[in-house]
Amino acid sequence: MPNNNGCVYGLTILSPILNDEKATPSHDLQIRNYLATLPTGETSPFAHAPGTHLCRLVVMDDVIYVGMPACEEHLKSKYLIFESNLDAAGGAGLESYLRGLAQAIPQHLDAVWSHCVGYPGAANAEAFVRYMKACQIETTFFFAAVNDKTVTETLRALQTQKAVADFIARHQGMEHAKLKAEFLEFATRLNAEPLPRPGTMGSRTGESDAWGRGRGIKTGGHNE
Amino acid sequence: MPGAEAEESRRVAIMSKLNETDIQGFVLRGYNLTYARYFYLHFEDAARARKLIARLLPEITTGQRWDGGKPRSTVNIAFTHRGLAAFELPIATLISFPVEFQQGMKKRAAILGDTGLNAPEHWDELWREGRVHAWLGIQGLTSSALDTASTEMLALIEETRGAVVLDSQDAASQVISGKATTKEHFGYTDGFGNPDYLGVERSTQPGQGKLMPDGSWAPLATGELLLGYADEAGELPVAPIPHILASNGTFMAYRKLHQNLASFRAYLEEHGRQYGGGKEKLAAKFIGRWRDGTPLELSPDAENQAIVQDPQRSTNFTYGADGDGTRCPVGAHIRRVHPRDTFGFNGKLIDRRRVTRRGLPYGKFADENEPVSDSDDRGIIFMALNANLSRQFEFVQQQWIEYGNDARLGNDKDMLLGNHGGHGKFVVQGDGSQTNPPYVCTALPNFVELRGGDYFFIPSITALGMLAMGLVDPR
Repeated sequence: MPNNNGCVYGLTILSPILNDEKATPSHDLQIRNYLATLPTGETSPFAHAPGTHLCRLVVMDDVIYVGMPACEEHLKSKYLIFESNLDAAGGAGLESYLRGLAQAIPQHLDAVWSHCVGYPGAANAEAFVRYMKACQIETTFFFAAVNDKTVTETLRALQTQKAVADFIARHQGMEHAKLKAEFLEFATRLNAEPLPRPGTMGSRTGESDAWGRGRGIKTGGHNE
Repeated sequence: MPGAEAEESRRVAIMSKLNETDIQGFVLRGYNLTYARYFYLHFEDAARARKLIARLLPEITTGQRWDGGKPRSTVNIAFTHRGLAAFELPIATLISFPVEFQQGMKKRAAILGDTGLNAPEHWDELWREGRVHAWLGIQGLTSSALDTASTEMLALIEETRGAVVLDSQDAASQVISGKATTKEHFGYTDGFGNPDYLGVERSTQPGQGKLMPDGSWAPLATGELLLGYADEAGELPVAPIPHILASNGTFMAYRKLHQNLASFRAYLEEHGRQYGGGKEKLAAKFIGRWRDGTPLELSPDAENQAIVQDPQRSTNFTYGADGDGTRCPVGAHIRRVHPRDTFGFNGKLIDRRRVTRRGLPYGKFADENEPVSDSDDRGIIFMALNANLSRQFEFVQQQWIEYGNDARLGNDKDMLLGNHGGHGKFVVQGDGSQTNPPYVCTALPNFVELRGGDYFFIPSITALGMLAMGLVDPR
């Protein structure tokens, strides 16, 4: 099952973009414009979609001709690429993920996919699931940096790690009986803590881009 | 066949011996000369600058072996991208340099984590202004040898009116009872284990090249240090055109690192009292070596000069048997910047992230009992040489100094070099025993602050000649 890596599923969807000469701007540009307005991190719509580790949306115009001796080829259409690492063991898990998407963020899905051929809308969840699965291609290989844990488990683990590290730093060297009492109290409090929202556990040091959105660590350019 | 790969590497090394007369000596060798003075030059006129280089050329120290004895002084030179532009090189050549070098270090601040206290606004005026065109590095066996060589070079500059001297920086090894040491201001013994490269003849010791599957160490590909040769991926490093301008040259990241000695001592004193292993062991855990240089991995409980003095042992260790960091913490400085086998795959993942370090302390050394202040002018001039600044120096700085994910340490930064700004933590892994307990250091100040620097190109002797004669032609 190349789409699966433990409990994480690597979803790849290629949706052909409408080719309508009368559309202004063209449908692919309308998708690009919409995607450019979407926030990343905890305010991303996909942070509200249950079971999403990370995802990205890309508009693919065409294959790039690199010159002789390559032969010049073209795609039949422009495509919207949707890649998502999600919690789903097996095909049934995928369907429930897609249904969750349709339920959580239908307005965003419609705003993007309404520019694609044959898109039925997210209001009809069954038709939406059928459509997405029809556009799916096998992932074969993907980078899963989540240690075979679900989104919930990962968030809980990060929360616990941070809280315990803070606890240790504040309490090291404390007398044993007092430490034990404080730890029991700490553990009870931690267990009662609500799950952190997706996208809230990362580094806060990233600088903002021109739109004021955090983009995390800067990359160095073309040499990596 | 054990050691076969290492044997093959040695064979190739002999076959591809480099032309040491064409490579600046500073690139191939740490001179071990006690005194240094770095002049920062600004070129006002291309013709006069060319004349200066022509006059300097015979003075430049090459990588030739010093079989006839050590010289009393050395001279080397390197250029910023602005400096090369001042020679009025063809635009086709200037734009063929790697982007990070064209930009210079100041514009790479966000990538390098040079923000907050380390941001360019806090740098020395020299480096904020961006007028530095060249670094002229002079080293001397004695301070009078340094003065003599400096005077000669300044006379050449004056005579040709080839450059304006913007500023200079003195640096020197700590001399204890007449003997130069490799101690830096925090009291650590520095300067272990620069990498070996194919074709570079130097006295070599295990632990300084790349780790082979059989556990032996072999030289890194020449192209990790020098332009014009294959690197560890079998590719030629990104280099300017024409090829002959680039070949036998390299890039240097120059960083003036101010050391807050008072903060360091106070922090170590306070936490050394709380940490069960004691102050000296805590100091060792920060770095991965006891302050006398003994690697924690080989001697976790005490300093051991027998190891430090033995080239077969002082850099010859791996971390595979210490996965949880109870001997050498996973976040210790030497384990971060040279993880050896820590990431598995026989260390293959790190072979393209190595840099050659040069550098000397500056400012007055202070005895353990001498009162010090963070505002005292002292630190280290750190110079990293590599074929690809972006892939090597910048990667190490961004990912291994200012971040911890590769070491599974989340956002933790290097204890001593990290830009902590009063936050962050450093975890000393322990085994639960009385003298090696786990410990967490928090509320970390910046023990080291960046005061400026830039990216430089260190050309070959041939390339310097081309600059001097105005013969750089990208066609």
